[in-house]
Amino acid sequence: MDDWLIAIIKVVCIWVWVLLIAVVMTWVERRGAALIQDRPGPNRAGPWGLFQPLADGIKLFTKEEIIPTKAQKFLYIMGPLLFSLPAFSAYAVVPFGDKIILGGKEIILQVSDVNIGFLYILAIGSMGVYGVILGGWGSTNKYSVLGGLRSTAQMVSYEVPLGLALLAIVFVYGTFSLRDISLAQQGTFLGFLPNWGIFKQPLGFILFIVAAYAEANRVPFDLPEAESEIVSGYHTEYGSMRLGLYLFGEYVNLVTISGIIVALYFGSWHMPYIDLGAYLGPISWGVVSFCIFFLKVSFFLWLFVWVRWTLPRFRYDQIMGLGWRGLIPLALFNIFITALFIQLTV
Amino acid sequence: MAKPVVKKEYTLSERIYLWEILKGMKLTWGHFWFNFKACWRPGPHTIPTCWQYPEDRTREISPIFRGEHMLQRDEKGRETCIACGMCAKICPAKCITIKKAKRKEGDEEKYAAKTYAASFEVDLLRCIFCGFCEDACPKNALVLGQEYEFARYTKEECILDKRKLLMNYRKAKEDGKLKPPRKRVPVVPAPPKPEKAEKAEGAEGKKAKVAGAKGKKKPVVKKKAAEKAESTEKKEAAEKEG
Amino acid sequence: MNQNPTPQTGHDTGDYVTVNIGPSHPAMHGTLRVVALTDGESLKKVDPEIGYLHRGVEKLGESLTYHQFIPITDRLNYCSAIPNNVSYEMAVEKLMGIEVPEKAQLIRVIMMELARIADHQVCIGILGVDLGAFTPFFYLIIQREEIYEIFEWFNGARLTNTFGRIGGVDADLPDDFDERWEELKPNVRKANEETEKLLTHNRIWMDRTIGVSAFSAEDALNWGFTGPCLRACGVKRDLRIDEPYCMYDKFKFEVPVGKNGDVFDRYIVRMIEMEESIKIIDQAYKLYKEMPADAPLMARVPKVIKPPAGEVYSALESPNGELGFFVKSDGSANPYRIRIRPPCYMIYQAFPELVEGELIADLVACLSSLNVIAGELDR
Repeated sequence: MDDWLIAIIKVVCIWVWVLLIAVVMTWVERRGAALIQDRPGPNRAGPWGLFQPLADGIKLFTKEEIIPTKAQKFLYIMGPLLFSLPAFSAYAVVPFGDKIILGGKEIILQVSDVNIGFLYILAIGSMGVYGVILGGWGSTNKYSVLGGLRSTAQMVSYEVPLGLALLAIVFVYGTFSLRDISLAQQGTFLGFLPNWGIFKQPLGFILFIVAAYAEANRVPFDLPEAESEIVSGYHTEYGSMRLGLYLFGEYVNLVTISGIIVALYFGSWHMPYIDLGAYLGPISWGVVSFCIFFLKVSFFLWLFVWVRWTLPRFRYDQIMGLGWRGLIPLALFNIFITALFIQLTV
Repeated sequence: MAKPVVKKEYTLSERIYLWEILKGMKLTWGHFWFNFKACWRPGPHTIPTCWQYPEDRTREISPIFRGEHMLQRDEKGRETCIACGMCAKICPAKCITIKKAKRKEGDEEKYAAKTYAASFEVDLLRCIFCGFCEDACPKNALVLGQEYEFARYTKEECILDKRKLLMNYRKAKEDGKLKPPRKRVPVVPAPPKPEKAEKAEGAEGKKAKVAGAKGKKKPVVKKKAAEKAESTEKKEAAEKEG
Repeated sequence: MNQNPTPQTGHDTGDYVTVNIGPSHPAMHGTLRVVALTDGESLKKVDPEIGYLHRGVEKLGESLTYHQFIPITDRLNYCSAIPNNVSYEMAVEKLMGIEVPEKAQLIRVIMMELARIADHQVCIGILGVDLGAFTPFFYLIIQREEIYEIFEWFNGARLTNTFGRIGGVDADLPDDFDERWEELKPNVRKANEETEKLLTHNRIWMDRTIGVSAFSAEDALNWGFTGPCLRACGVKRDLRIDEPYCMYDKFKFEVPVGKNGDVFDRYIVRMIEMEESIKIIDQAYKLYKEMPADAPLMARVPKVIKPPAGEVYSALESPNGELGFFVKSDGSANPYRIRIRPPCYMIYQAFPELVEGELIADLVACLSSLNVIAGELDR
C-alpha cells in the first residue's frame, strides 16, 4: 500500500513539476528571445511578466473551440491528445534526483526505475509523431498535411541516430536503466575529469543533442511548423486548448530531453569532483541532488532557447541529407569506435 | 536552374556547422547579457532600443514632426488664418474645407486679418500628413503639430473643426510644443535681366507673403512675373538644347 | 505561359497538389499570391498573381497636380520612399528643363543613400526571417529606426517622407545631422557585421541560399532585371555610374557584382551596397559642407507647375533597381499620363522561371531575396 501511495505521490509531483517548468519555459523563451533581440519582451503581466503564461493559459482555455467543417473530426480531436500524452509519460523513467530516506524507507527520486529505460523512452518518443501526423491529416489543410508529413519523415529519420547514440552509451555503461547510468557517473575520469558521459562519448553527445533537437522540432529543425513556408504547419487549423496542448507538449518534450541529456551525459545529480552525498544527511541530500539536477536541466532548457534565436532553418532535403548521410554514418562510426575501445580495454 | 552554379568552396569551419554556430551563439549571448543587465535599471526605459510607450514618453519628437493639425494664433491671441483656401487647394487628399467670412466691426481682437475662416474642417481620416498645407499657408496659420495619437472612437471625432484645431494650438502652447516657423529654403536668384528681375524678386520667399497681404493687385503682377521667369527659363533651355 | 493550364486552387489532380501561398500568408510580403502546383515539396508550376494592392496610383496622378502627386509616390515602395519622390521630381524637372541647385542635389543624394541603407536592411532582415533566422532582423531594424529618426528631423515624417519638391528640396539638412550621422554610422556597420557573423558563414544559411534560384546574366537581362538582382547575376549595371544623375559621377564608390545570381549573391550584393552607401554619404556630406550656408536649395519654379506639352522618361537607381517615371504633359496643370516603371514588376515576372523545380522553402527564400514590394508592384 505504501509503495502505491509513494508511486502516486511521485507521479503527481513530477507531473505538476514538469508542467510548471513547461509553463515557465514559455515565458523564458519569449523573454530570452526578446533579450537576445534587443527588446524587453512580455513584461506587463505580473513582476517581469512572469504571469504571462498564466494569461496565455486563461486565454487558451476560454477561447471558443472550433472544429473546421471539413476536418475529420475524430483525427482532429485525437491529434493533440496523442501528442501531449507521450510527452508527459516519457518523463516517467527519467530521474530527477538521487534518493531520499523518509522514515527508514528509501525512496528513489524517479517515477520508476525500469531496467529498459531507454527502450521505453524511444518507444514513447516515437508515439508523439502520431499526434503530429494525425493532427496534420485530420485538419484537411494542405499546409497541415505538409507539416505533418515533414514531421513524420524527420522524426522517423532522426530516431535512428538518436537510438544509435544511445546504444553507444549502453555499450559504455552496460545497462539500460537511467538510474544505474546516473549512479555510474560519480567520481572522476582519467584522474582529472568528472566521470561524466560526455567525456566518454563526446561524439555521441553531439549526435544525441542534434537528433534530440530534430525530435523536438526545434530550430534549426522546426520544419513541421516553419511559419514562413507553411504558415504553422500541422497546427495551422488548431485553436484554443487544442493548440495549447501542442505547445505545452512541445515544452514538456524539451524538459524530458534535457533531463535525458543531463542523466546520460552530464553526470545527473553529481557535482563535479565533490561527492556531496557523503557530507549531507539523507533528506538534505535528496533535496540538494534534486536542485543540482534541476540546475543542469535548466541550462539545457536555456540552450534550446539560445540556439533557436541564433540559427536559420534547414530545408527539407537538407535535413534528410544531414540525418541519413551525416548523422547515421557518424553514429555507426561512434558505435564502432566505442565497441573497439571497450573490446580492447576490458 | 537556368545556369550551372559556381560552387562555393566551403572552408572547414563552415563545413562542420558547429564552429560557426558557436560563434553566432557567442554573439547572441553578448546581446542577451547586455540587455539582461539593462533590465535592472530603474524606470520604464530600461533596454536602450525600446520605449515602453504609454508610460515612457521620453523619446524626443522632432519639432517639425508632421502630426495633428492646429490653427495658430498670433502674439495678441488673434486667429491668423485669412481663409485664403491655399491649403484646401494644395491638399492631395482634399481633406480641408473652409468657409470664408468677412471680419465684422468690433471683431478686430478676434481675427488678425480682414477675412477669417468661419468654419475650418480637417478630415483626419482622409489626411495623409504630407505637410503641403502648412507649406502653402501664407500666414503660417495652419501647422501640423507634434501630436501623434490620432485614435478616436467615432467618425465625427476624427473631423477636426475649428474649435478642436484651436484647442490643439492651446494645448501645444501650454506644453511648449509650438512648431518653429518654417524655414524657407533659399531659391536660385533670378536671371540677370534688368527690369523683369526686380519684379520677379517680389515673387519669391517671404517678401511675397508680405506683398500678398497688401492688396489684390500684386498677385496678378506676381503671376505674370513668374510666368515671364518661366518663359525665360524655357528659352534658355531651348537655347541650350539648340 | 498562359497557353498551359494554370494551376488553380481546388483542382488537385493526379500526383500533384495545388498549394495556394498568399495573399495572406506569413511569407508573402504585402499581398502577393502564388499558386503553386507541387509534387510533394517540389514546385512543378508556379503562377504568381498580382494586383491585390492595386490602388490606381497612375490613374490617380491624372487628377492631381504635379506637386500633389509627390506624396502618392511615397506609397509605392514604402520601405524607401525617398528615391520614389526624387525619381518623380526628376522626371518633371527634366520635362520642364529645370536645373536643380547643386546643394539640393547633394541633400537628395544623402537622403537617397540613407533610404537605400534602410531598404536593404529591411530586405536582408526579412530574408533572414523567412529562412528562420529571426534575430538579425531586429539588429538591422533597430538601425533602420535610427535612420528614420534622421528623416524625422529632416522634414517631419518617418516613413512617408514626401521628400523634396519639384525643383529642389523643401528643407535643409538638420543642424545636428553631422552628430547624428557620426553616431549612426558605426551602429549601422556593427549591425551589418553582426548579421554577417550570424548568417554569412553559417553552413545552414549557405546551404539554404547558395545555388537557390540561380539565374544567368543573359536571362536576367532578357527579363529586364535591374538593381541588386541583376548585379548578383554578374552584370555591372548601375544607373548611378552608367547614367549619372544628382552628381553621382563625383563620388567614388564600387558596384558589387555576384556570380551566380542566387539568393546568396543577392544577399552579399546588398550587404556590400550598404557599405558603399555609407561611403557615398560621407563624400556627399563633405561636398555639402564646402557649399556656402545660404546656397540655393530650390530652382526657380513657377507656383503653378505647367510643363510644356511633351513626354519624358527619367529613371534612377532605387534600392530595388531602375525606378523610372514616364510623365506626359499636355500643357495643363495636371499630368496627362503618368507611368511608373517599378523595378520589382520586371523582376517578379521571372519568378516562375526562378523557382520552378525547386522546393517550397526556396520559393520563400527567393521571393524575399528579390525584395518584391507589393505597393510598388501593383501600384
